[in-house]
Amino acid sequence: MAIMTRKLVLAAIGAIAMLQVSPSQAQQATEIHLTYSKGQFQPSQVSAPADKPISFRIKNLDAKAMEFESTSLRVEKVVAAGSEGVVNVRALKPGRYEFYDDFNDKARGALTVQ
Amino acid sequence: MLSSGSVARAEDASSWREIETKYIFGFTTGSGIGLEGEKEVTVDSLGRFGKRDGYYAASETKYEFEFTPSQFIQIEFGALGSAHNISNVTGLDDRSQIALGGGFAEFRYLALERTSNNPLAVTLAVEPTIRRIDETSGERVRNFEFETTVNADIEILRNRLYAGFNLLYEPEVTKTSLGDTQREATAGGSAALSFRIMSNVVLGGEVWYLRHYDAANLTAFTGDAVLLGPTLFVQFTPKMFMTAAWDTQVWGREVGSPLALNLSEFQRNRVKLKWAYEF
Repeated sequence: MAIMTRKLVLAAIGAIAMLQVSPSQAQQATEIHLTYSKGQFQPSQVSAPADKPISFRIKNLDAKAMEFESTSLRVEKVVAAGSEGVVNVRALKPGRYEFYDDFNDKARGALTVQ
Repeated sequence: MLSSGSVARAEDASSWREIETKYIFGFTTGSGIGLEGEKEVTVDSLGRFGKRDGYYAASETKYEFEFTPSQFIQIEFGALGSAHNISNVTGLDDRSQIALGGGFAEFRYLALERTSNNPLAVTLAVEPTIRRIDETSGERVRNFEFETTVNADIEILRNRLYAGFNLLYEPEVTKTSLGDTQREATAGGSAALSFRIMSNVVLGGEVWYLRHYDAANLTAFTGDAVLLGPTLFVQFTPKMFMTAAWDTQVWGREVGSPLALNLSEFQRNRVKLKWAYEF
């Protein structure tokens, strides 16, 4: 009984994870290229189509690490100095999604999904 | 402090970063599930104080690790530490002890996400817990609890005002040291309102209505209670925060008792203090 319950719980978690992951992986992601220089995102305002996964490619040109983070996108990633980081985001509903550098309060940007 | 508060009032809240809502409502849990890839260690203490007579103080502390493996799921697990200081309380043995209380895990699934066009977010959570120390009496037991909750919140004013709502169903089974098996359940709900007075400080209040049953299927009602109190959330740094809450029982009843308040199944006061560090 305990083993069956454990299997059912694991199956449910797996099913939920598949529901969320599979569509994103199956569709072609919209790529958004950002550079981070002198403590600012370039460009700071970007857009993407709704209901398609998104892939941010962030090139950090500064001499110190930055952390690409967004509460509404529910992602975070540290990008080391002089390197590039990739952040994959689920297919999004229309709206405005803010992002920022968690190490630098002045570095802000926003993604508009239409 | 006052002058910085005045400056904060003059600030445009739209320039503030969005806030993670999970911990801004006190005992009420918000819908937040963290950020994909984020890890967090927390120490979360719940103190319970006051019975009908004598002296009663008990606490349970969660030493917790939580992480967010996807943009929809959060997982937490950890150990429980328990402490009891009881003297001259009717129905409970005198006790002064600190013990390893058990362990728990929590699985949270974000069912409805907030967007700039939809202020409502809803998360479903289950939390199985195993205890070797009874929460109320401090006795050695074998207890299994399965808390299920719906955590919802609404952003009423952008970056400023939030309302949180929880629904709770918590069945449990306990085998006592005498070999008896007891089944019980707690069910109820809460409503909370939290106002972000500064970009890193949130103040609020919450109310809980809880019902207790001596059966897991909610058939043997034994009493209910209403608890009310203030909440506080402070983000010290982008990676460190604390949350505190204090609820006091303002109304309650026990089946078969003419006395005010329900101090058999619930306590007169409960206090929550949680510290968290993200990495």
